[in-house]
Amino acid sequence: MPTFTDNPQPGTLPQWLQQQARQQGTGIALRHKRLGVWQVRTWHQLAAEVQHLATALHVRGFVPGASLVIVSRPRPEALIAALAVQWLGGVAALLDPLETAAAQVPLLRELHSEWVFVEGHEEIQRLRAAGLAPRLLIYADGRGLAEVSQAGDTLAFAQLLQQGSDHRLEPQARAERTAFAFYRLGVGQRLEQQRISHAELLQEGRRLVHGEQLGRQEEALAARTFAAGCQARYLLAPWLIVGFRLNFPENLETRDQDRRELGPTLVVGTRETYERLHTQVLARLPEPGSWRRRLVDWALVAHPSALQRHLGYWLIRRPLRDVLGFSRTRAPLLVGEALAPPTLAFFQALAIEVCTWPDPAKWHCPALWPAPLVNGWIEDSTQPA
Amino acid sequence: MAQTQATKVEHLLVLENIGLSFKGVKAVTDISFAVAAGEICALIGPNGAGKSSLLNVINGVYQAQQGRIRFAGEEHRRMRPHDAAVRGIARTFQNIALFKGMSVLDNVLTGRNLKRRSSWIEQALRIGRAAGEDDRQREAAERIIDFLHIQPWRDTLVGKLPYGLQKRVELARALAAEPRLLLLDEPMAGMNAEEKQQMSRFIVDINRELGTTVVLIEHDIGVVMGICDHVVVLDYGRKIGDGPPDEVRQNPEVIAAYLGTRH
Repeated sequence: MPTFTDNPQPGTLPQWLQQQARQQGTGIALRHKRLGVWQVRTWHQLAAEVQHLATALHVRGFVPGASLVIVSRPRPEALIAALAVQWLGGVAALLDPLETAAAQVPLLRELHSEWVFVEGHEEIQRLRAAGLAPRLLIYADGRGLAEVSQAGDTLAFAQLLQQGSDHRLEPQARAERTAFAFYRLGVGQRLEQQRISHAELLQEGRRLVHGEQLGRQEEALAARTFAAGCQARYLLAPWLIVGFRLNFPENLETRDQDRRELGPTLVVGTRETYERLHTQVLARLPEPGSWRRRLVDWALVAHPSALQRHLGYWLIRRPLRDVLGFSRTRAPLLVGEALAPPTLAFFQALAIEVCTWPDPAKWHCPALWPAPLVNGWIEDSTQPA
Repeated sequence: MAQTQATKVEHLLVLENIGLSFKGVKAVTDISFAVAAGEICALIGPNGAGKSSLLNVINGVYQAQQGRIRFAGEEHRRMRPHDAAVRGIARTFQNIALFKGMSVLDNVLTGRNLKRRSSWIEQALRIGRAAGEDDRQREAAERIIDFLHIQPWRDTLVGKLPYGLQKRVELARALAAEPRLLLLDEPMAGMNAEEKQQMSRFIVDINRELGTTVVLIEHDIGVVMGICDHVVVLDYGRKIGDGPPDEVRQNPEVIAAYLGTRH
């Protein structure tokens, strides 16, 4: 069976997607819980959707190097849109969907993007508040948009997808070009950006794949907001390189239940992710001083006797791992800031050895904004060397 | 051709001279009003004005001694609650009436009972039409759960949910019947400001996205004026105001009886 080490290796994310579709077309690439049921997309279906969307965007004038601003919680449509613009040599610019409107509107105003993908009504309100009139506005959820959807520059994701043809448009992305961009307003409300090229993403993705010995059998849950560099580096890139399953929760409110149901083998989280789970457990523990609490405390302490260890495992630690959704986790990753000692100790007591990976995010001010068009490409002047 | 002809309003519900009394005590006296298809209509008035009684008359819990009700073009002198449900009228109650020992999903599924075509024996033995029907009913219930954003509590017992969420589950159960007319008896009673805002948004969404006509009883005048197209004001069983919110707000009789006289 081919593995990710086969040569020649693709140099961009869309090429990896193509390769996965060729090698394991009927394998499951994405799962998304909708209406209480996990819906699946195979690698072949995913690649076809990405290609259809890319051709639709191409017809509408999306040029290589252009950016698609994405404001959405984790959902397949947002990922497909990101991959489609990368297919065309473009940049997926992800904004934090959980940011307050007051913080995001000035940023949107600063970006004045021509191509925007939003989740739904709330994000469209933000675009309006920012005075943006994009050339194309794509939305995933049409609820509350009956009037808006009549406008020619605003299209439902599904409609745009239908407009794409079977015309075989080969990936135009280049390894050294930006794949993902992240933006924020820094000191003095100055625009700051973080750009990650295909090459950089794949290099770090490969490092993780080797380091954690990831294989196609992995199950990963994209439970964080769909707007962090670490998610692109340590989740999306390894997913495309290895070809495991990526799962999207029903929504952010159900992510803990969905994680429990799924039991992912790969968890990519930040300090906040692990601390939130720790806090949840602490809130549900029995009253201090009660016999139940003493039993929990006893089970979470290392015991020299094998019998005690087994009892503690079957009575407390195993059920607790199940409740947290870590029953099958073999690669619990922490990106960025280290865990607080009590949280680290808690996960260690459950035999969940959280492995820290660096977040090499570098924020800097763009040299030229907006970037000029050179030889049909929007100049990627701030590309890291 | 100049479009001089006024648009004819299609009324989904018409009440004509409704009178209701209990052992000689008049609860509702000679009430007439009409609810246009696709609107949100509020019944407001002080306690004891006859609002809930009127809602009970509309869905057949009470039988009016006088007057006529026309729903969807059909006239009904006596309509039982089951007939009302079959014809597309669903309601929620002032005091939550859910199955507290059942999960949210199961409660919502009970709202789908009238949509089932299989017989009880088919359902008990899971044969014939029952087999495929379960999936369809579950999907329909899930759509409502999704619409009202109660997925995180899908499997939670209703009795364990906070009050505001129970109100939303009750709304979900009513919506599961795919009603043409939704009667909401104080849907925001006992809620805090945030919960009221959320519930208001859901009611507006139900009206706009699903096209459901809504008649609601509400005491929060801010909410009523904010989301309703039409307001009917009752006082001691009589109608004292009927019209768009702005018009009702200016009605001196309404101001005196309900909103308070300006000093």
